[in-house]
Amino acid sequence: MILRLDIVLLVFLILIALVVVKTKDLLAAALVFSGYSLVMCIVWQQLGAPDIAMTEAAIGAGVTTVLFIIAISKTFRREE
Amino acid sequence: MKNKIFNQAIIITGLLAFALLSLSAVAEMPRFGDPNNPPNLHVVDRYLEKGEEEAGCKNVVTDIILNYRGYDTMGEVTVIFTALCAALAILKRENFYTSFSLLDTSPNKTSIVVRTIIALMFPLIFLFGLYVILHGEDTPGGGFQGGTVIAASLILFILVFGFRYTLNKLSPKFREFFESMAPLSFFLVGSLSLIIGLEFLSYMLPIFSEGYRLEVARLLLSFIEIGIGVGGAAIFTSLFFSMQREEK
Repeated sequence: MILRLDIVLLVFLILIALVVVKTKDLLAAALVFSGYSLVMCIVWQQLGAPDIAMTEAAIGAGVTTVLFIIAISKTFRREE
Repeated sequence: MKNKIFNQAIIITGLLAFALLSLSAVAEMPRFGDPNNPPNLHVVDRYLEKGEEEAGCKNVVTDIILNYRGYDTMGEVTVIFTALCAALAILKRENFYTSFSLLDTSPNKTSIVVRTIIALMFPLIFLFGLYVILHGEDTPGGGFQGGTVIAASLILFILVFGFRYTLNKLSPKFREFFESMAPLSFFLVGSLSLIIGLEFLSYMLPIFSEGYRLEVARLLLSFIEIGIGVGGAAIFTSLFFSMQREEK
């Protein structure tokens, strides 16, 4: 059961990573990347590292996304 | 056109060769979670059995991060501090009189629902961050983790209540003091043992009697944890402030 959950999460991670690379809209990419961090946080928890999971949730899903969005708001939203 | 296809073919073959090499290297690695792995044979038993009496904390991860691998963590803390210095050198620190943010001039005001919810939730998130820092010796978490939670809560506050309102409460002068706390607390506690004549970053100070030594080590470790946590929170908040800044 747990192994199955891990496989689902890891496949999901790869799919999200592909979406982030392929999206031309940078704002959407930043938001999807925050979802990547959230899934990664659960993977850390599954691997038995709650410390890292906590950091990933706060930094990856929270702070980094906000910093990305500020950077996008000061430059251009769409990739050429 | 033909040249482009040729280049792409070279890139794809190179990537495939690299992937093959990496995969063969991974296949050579020991299995995940195998009890006969080299790290599980030598150090883990020592950490688990003697961690509490040697390092002073119930949480083995904190023992390893702050005590057995203290140098590494000190380097990491210094790296975060240097990152802030580099960012400020490029972006410049904000000034209350000349700086403003697009958050405040935006025609779309934050709705009353969001304001009320954040006003209720902000103290709780902040308190949880403090709890993670102060309870890091016994439960998962510690300085870095609690610091990031506090920083996230402060950034949420800035996003909802505006740039200038928060800048008024958390002036750059006020934050400057806390930013330097992360590396400074580590160096201060590390040098404490140098004065007595022990190695750098040893927490078991022999000037205290046998019974109190562990308590003192615990106290020093929580001092470092608080330093890292508050310092990290201040560093992330300052980074956010200086990125938001626009000049009049």
